[in-house]
Amino acid sequence: MRKLSLACALVAALAAAAVALGSTRADPGVDATSILIGGTAPLSGEASAGAGVARGAEAYFKWVNAHGGVNGRKIDYRYLDDGYDPSRTVQATRQLVQQDKVFAIFNTLGTANNLAIRSFLNQSKIPQLFSASGATTLGRDFGQYPYTMGYIPSYAAEGKLYGQYIVKTRPKAKIAVLYQDDDYGNDLLAGLKKGLGGRQVAAKAGYDPTATDVASQVAQLKASGADTFAIFAFGKFSLQAFFAMNKLGWRPKITIVNAVASASGLMALPPAKSTEGAVSIVFTKDPANPAWAKDKGLKLFQTVMKRYYADGVKSGYAAAGASSAYTMVDALKKAGKNPTRASLLTAATNLNERGNPFLLPGIVVKTTPRDRFPVSQLKLQRWHKGHWNIFGKLLVAKP
Amino acid sequence: MVRRAFELAGFVVVVAIVALAPRWVSDFRAFQLASVGVYVIAIVGLNVLTGYSGQISLGHGAFMAIGGYTTAILMAKHGVQDLWTIPIAALVAGVAGFLFGIPALRLSGLYLALVTFGIAVSFPSLLKKFAGLTGGGRGLNLFGLPQETGGGVSVHVLGHELTNNDWLYYLTWTVAGVLFVGAWLLLRGETGRALRALRDSSVAAASAGVWPALYKTLAFGISAAFAGVAGSLLAISVAFVNPDTFPISLSITVLVGAVVAGIGSVLGRVGSYVGPLAGASLIVFLQAYASDFLRWIEKGIPLHADPKAPGVPAVIFGLVVIVVMLLFPAGVGGVLDALTSRVSRGLTRLRV
Repeated sequence: MRKLSLACALVAALAAAAVALGSTRADPGVDATSILIGGTAPLSGEASAGAGVARGAEAYFKWVNAHGGVNGRKIDYRYLDDGYDPSRTVQATRQLVQQDKVFAIFNTLGTANNLAIRSFLNQSKIPQLFSASGATTLGRDFGQYPYTMGYIPSYAAEGKLYGQYIVKTRPKAKIAVLYQDDDYGNDLLAGLKKGLGGRQVAAKAGYDPTATDVASQVAQLKASGADTFAIFAFGKFSLQAFFAMNKLGWRPKITIVNAVASASGLMALPPAKSTEGAVSIVFTKDPANPAWAKDKGLKLFQTVMKRYYADGVKSGYAAAGASSAYTMVDALKKAGKNPTRASLLTAATNLNERGNPFLLPGIVVKTTPRDRFPVSQLKLQRWHKGHWNIFGKLLVAKP
Repeated sequence: MVRRAFELAGFVVVVAIVALAPRWVSDFRAFQLASVGVYVIAIVGLNVLTGYSGQISLGHGAFMAIGGYTTAILMAKHGVQDLWTIPIAALVAGVAGFLFGIPALRLSGLYLALVTFGIAVSFPSLLKKFAGLTGGGRGLNLFGLPQETGGGVSVHVLGHELTNNDWLYYLTWTVAGVLFVGAWLLLRGETGRALRALRDSSVAAASAGVWPALYKTLAFGISAAFAGVAGSLLAISVAFVNPDTFPISLSITVLVGAVVAGIGSVLGRVGSYVGPLAGASLIVFLQAYASDFLRWIEKGIPLHADPKAPGVPAVIFGLVVIVVMLLFPAGVGGVLDALTSRVSRGLTRLRV
């Protein structure tokens, strides 16, 4: 009996080996019917609002799968919770790569989180694509980290545009800046200073991303007598900043709020007096903005979300996730019938995508091996009576 | 005599299983098992404090953080090879624990638990305060540093090529084994008896010539040194530290692990090494597979809970701890010790 089972096992092992040798050598994560990609997102904790980015992307992939997938393969997008904590991103990503054997890492959210896994992924030669972070280094330092690429406009470019906007509208502005004291906030701050030309920032106050409250920083900034306030924050911290402004009765002439903190859903929460007139940048179609009610792309978005992620129908985060998922599908298609990590990377660094339905009309998602900022066109928008209003023409945002 | 034979045989079997495990499991599982080793060290250390000297600590996460940051700072800022940072981490955390043991002399029971919890709560803020040294909330990245022996890829050890994860596994478990034997040698004689005497009645122990202050602070120091080594190994294996690597809840997790392991199991007994294995496995695997566990429960009992919801691991962890405490109040180690005692007594009687 034992001999028999041993023989069976041997035959099975040989058969498996033969199958493995017979098929073309594919990279892990790709088989005949599916492509497994992975990433992390803050499903819990301080920044859990950002979970919509992963869920929105997941919903779009499910839609694509229901419509035939990519070259006949279904996309299996596995995202794990990291609570916005880089040490958990490291462990979860290791699990995705070493245990689940994902083909590529996609859409991991957070600047510190992406930077914490970048060396590991590049050493393991695994594409780290369309990271949900605008850290300039993700697109700039491809010489050292060829497998890494971001998606949204770089924070440095975003900050620069705010600086230029302030100079144009209020040349004598006295500027105070609240910023998250990590690579993310410092990137925005450095860009702002660049955009201001030689002009100085009157006051700045950083907060630690693991802090509980930013009210004291806002009070300190108000005390500086500034008439322009730039909020370079994330999640609950931007909310706290607006609430603190309201409590202190601070009414700056211009309030800037950076893109990833400016979802309509968040902006609607603080008292309207503090948010009215705030300026931000925009590159996705904001599902909460009635201006897009008749837009074909947004209608597709709503159909997809209604079916696969009902809470995301009005979420700007879900729209951001869906837009990068659209580009990912594009890249996977271009990576060929039998995609490899190398062919995916080639496809992702040679994008020329027009008409992404979830981005503003006219934006071309374009990359070359030496220009790795996929979305680098955007517009300005102003918050008025509970909605964002886009103004001005399409701007180029390169760091 | 029979019991001794049991204990020795059990230890040899456990060592053999630990030594061979990477042959049977996947590369990633070896990484998870390395984390089990980290918690085994912390639990054995906590047992020295709580089990032997009767002092409760809810602040061992902070001692782990001291060890982890010692390693990270030495590696990232001073170019020290990761292996050399382990004894230094033990020393730094041990001295910190010894010093903390001095004020702790005036406290006992719940009061001591509260004060140690105070360290656990305040330590992350302290780490952020000295951002120049610790990297603040951003933390320190150790991956790919030349000081990393594993280098994220593989290592040649004694003619064998080990993957990075297998290397971390053997490193952690070798250290765990050495520390366990060290603790056993230290505590099997006079020191161990003195500590246990203090735990049972410090007045009686003092009148028998035991100096309470010395032994109690010594227990704190040894225990913290163990936690420091655990933190150091955690930093080496994750290759990244920030304040959230050592959250406030870590202190509670380690204590829960120690309680499940069985507090007070005398070192050398079967329960004293199998217990920590069980407690540490619970910490690592239950947290990682809580959602799967919930899905499995759902098959039998429709709870209509979302297995992906945040907080699932914490709730499942809590439930399992309650069940374990109701069924085996002495922990896994306590049950095993009782069992081996009974069996060996039975065998002895047969021989007579």
